[in-house]
Amino acid sequence: MGSWGFIGLAYGLGSVALLLYLILLKRRLRGAQDELAALEGDGGRRAR
Amino acid sequence: MGERTVAASVPWAPERGRAGARPSLAAKVLGAAAVLVLATGLYLGLAVVPPDAVQGEVQRIMYLHVPSIVTAYLAFFVVFCSSVLYLWKRDLRFDAVAVSSAEIGVVLTGITLATGSIWGKSTWGVWWTWDARLTLTAILFTIYVGYLMLRAFAEEPQAGARYGAVLAIIGFLDIPLNHLAVQWWRTLHQPSSILRPGGPSVASVMLVPLAINFAGLILLSAYLLLERIRLERIRHRAAETRLKRGRRG
Repeated sequence: MGSWGFIGLAYGLGSVALLLYLILLKRRLRGAQDELAALEGDGGRRAR
Repeated sequence: MGERTVAASVPWAPERGRAGARPSLAAKVLGAAAVLVLATGLYLGLAVVPPDAVQGEVQRIMYLHVPSIVTAYLAFFVVFCSSVLYLWKRDLRFDAVAVSSAEIGVVLTGITLATGSIWGKSTWGVWWTWDARLTLTAILFTIYVGYLMLRAFAEEPQAGARYGAVLAIIGFLDIPLNHLAVQWWRTLHQPSSILRPGGPSVASVMLVPLAINFAGLILLSAYLLLERIRLERIRHRAAETRLKRGRRG
């Protein structure tokens, strides 16, 4: 592998790691929001 | 990370109806600024700055490797301070900041280990060696992965936060040791070239993309931290709602 191959591998891995973390964080946020909405919606219906 | 619940009321959880549904304006600004600054730094580091006289082109890995580890150190410093404050005040806000910042520090340390390994293969001929600097960085990574596992699998969340805070504080001691390792021992890893007595030994033209990428990673980490804390707030709100419903019966 040439110098630019190593450089591409390093920057590629770094970018993928950061992007993957961001995507998983957004997915966890959506999941938590859906769960909270369901809990509060359900609670609201109970109260009525 | 697994679902964490809290046994006490959390006054900082988002109000009902606007449960942290969107990123804050500050987060949006930080995210946009991070993309712009990192794009500039990468362009300068990969296309503008000349190659190193000794290592050649492959030295360009430095523009990602060095800012990653310095930003990881900062993230773990935030974990350290938040953990001390949590143990002192027992305020869940500090715990939320600690666990959020630890995740970002682990991601950045992972990037440092990966890029360092690739750089090592191209210059030393090996992907890994049990050099003091490399080993202490791997230990740092392992400590904070252990911290996140402890937080995720703790059966009693308050105890998990307490033990986690103690581990985070002890684990932080690895950072000064890691920084000084290249001065105290004969290592294959080169001595510090930026944070060293007498100032940086790197050519000033190379310092520019380094500084820009460092600023970019700090902005990106701040954006990720705000978003990760938003996740903690939503989880706390959900735990509080479950608790209230349980009490009502």
